[in-house]
Amino acid sequence: MLDKNSCPDKTDEELVALALKNQDFFACLVDRYEEKLMRYIMRISAVTREDAEDLLQDIFVKVYRNLNDFDQSLKFSSWVYRIAHNQVISHWRKTSARPKVLKFEADEDFLKFISTDEDLASDTERKFTGEEVREILDKLDDKYREVLVLKFLEGKDYKEISDILHKPLGTVATLINRAKKQFKKIGAGKDLTY
Amino acid sequence: MSELGKKVLEKIKEEKIAPKPRWRFLLKDYFVWLLFLISLIIGAVAFCVSLHILFENDWDLYQYLHRSLAGHILISIPYIWIILLILFISVAYYNFKHTKEGYRHEAYVILGLSVIGSIILGTFLNTLGAGQEVEDVVASSIPIYESLTCCHNRTDIWDQPGNGLLGGKIIKIVDPKVFELKDFHGVLWQVREDDDTLEYEPIRIVPGEEIKVIGEKEQENVFWAREIRPWQNKGLMQKAKMRWDSDD
Repeated sequence: MLDKNSCPDKTDEELVALALKNQDFFACLVDRYEEKLMRYIMRISAVTREDAEDLLQDIFVKVYRNLNDFDQSLKFSSWVYRIAHNQVISHWRKTSARPKVLKFEADEDFLKFISTDEDLASDTERKFTGEEVREILDKLDDKYREVLVLKFLEGKDYKEISDILHKPLGTVATLINRAKKQFKKIGAGKDLTY
Repeated sequence: MSELGKKVLEKIKEEKIAPKPRWRFLLKDYFVWLLFLISLIIGAVAFCVSLHILFENDWDLYQYLHRSLAGHILISIPYIWIILLILFISVAYYNFKHTKEGYRHEAYVILGLSVIGSIILGTFLNTLGAGQEVEDVVASSIPIYESLTCCHNRTDIWDQPGNGLLGGKIIKIVDPKVFELKDFHGVLWQVREDDDTLEYEPIRIVPGEEIKVIGEKEQENVFWAREIRPWQNKGLMQKAKMRWDSDD
């Protein structure tokens, strides 16, 4: 029987092993990642909350189906984010919809990153408003936007981003640098309207 | 348990969803690795045959064939095998990228290792004589092959005694400096050697041996040999067989 109280004490890897024996334990993993993945989906796509919930349900079902493919050398969170990333891309392809407007629930996080990131702080002469950040992000290439979201909003390190996006570490570093440059370039432009 | 957690579990139970068995993922991984290895081996074979063709080519013949050196080089390059090499290195790269941890490596590292792997394996195979064997098999099973390449079994090049080029099979040793050779039209020639004649290793002037002779037509069906070369160079395995035969 599922002992809900024991979930918080267990590592992701232990919960995966338990879920493979008893599906009820999978709910613990859902509880643990539901909010994080919901935020991630909303940040990298333009779906409504309802669509994001449907996507999230599909993601968790896919995670469950592929539990035996989880590679213990990776972090479970990286593996789950990878599946979410793929599912979002597949959703874009199905609906042929590129995200147009980002609805951040916490633009303050991004503003904080802009003010604390050494590269950007030294080059950016003025502070951006939340609305401007949204506009800049929306103008960024998808690949740059996602890498910035993972690095600065999801707090992932290079290795985790590499495992999520399936790109070598060097490429991740290059993408982050280019993303920052594009962010600064767009931010430096006076006209942020389309 | 959250609402979503309940929904996900309900769906899993209602639709009787179960985790896919581990062997299916392992099988897929092994299959991708197998494809990678096969591509690497085919790339190595392509490199091996390219090497064989480049080594086998008579680079100094352009002067007898009334060609420029550059033209001769351009004609002699084994384009088909080089294209195959590039193709299978690309396939090997694609497969490696699709292994479980393939994404962690930079493209240039994977490509570099695939190229180095093909070169090492291909050189080793060619040393054993596989280049010639593979080319012979391909030439006999794909009729168009001969017309697409410059140099495989080009009897026409060695059928120009007037230009100093003669090829064929040794039929009889007349004396230590003269042997009889049957050319590719079945015409018998007396081939004469002297002290200036160069014999390229590994060659045996014995009946049954196929050779190329560069020299001069002295009279009707009499040819003076300046150089004698084996019809095809031999790999380690053929050389070992030759030694074995001569010991017998």
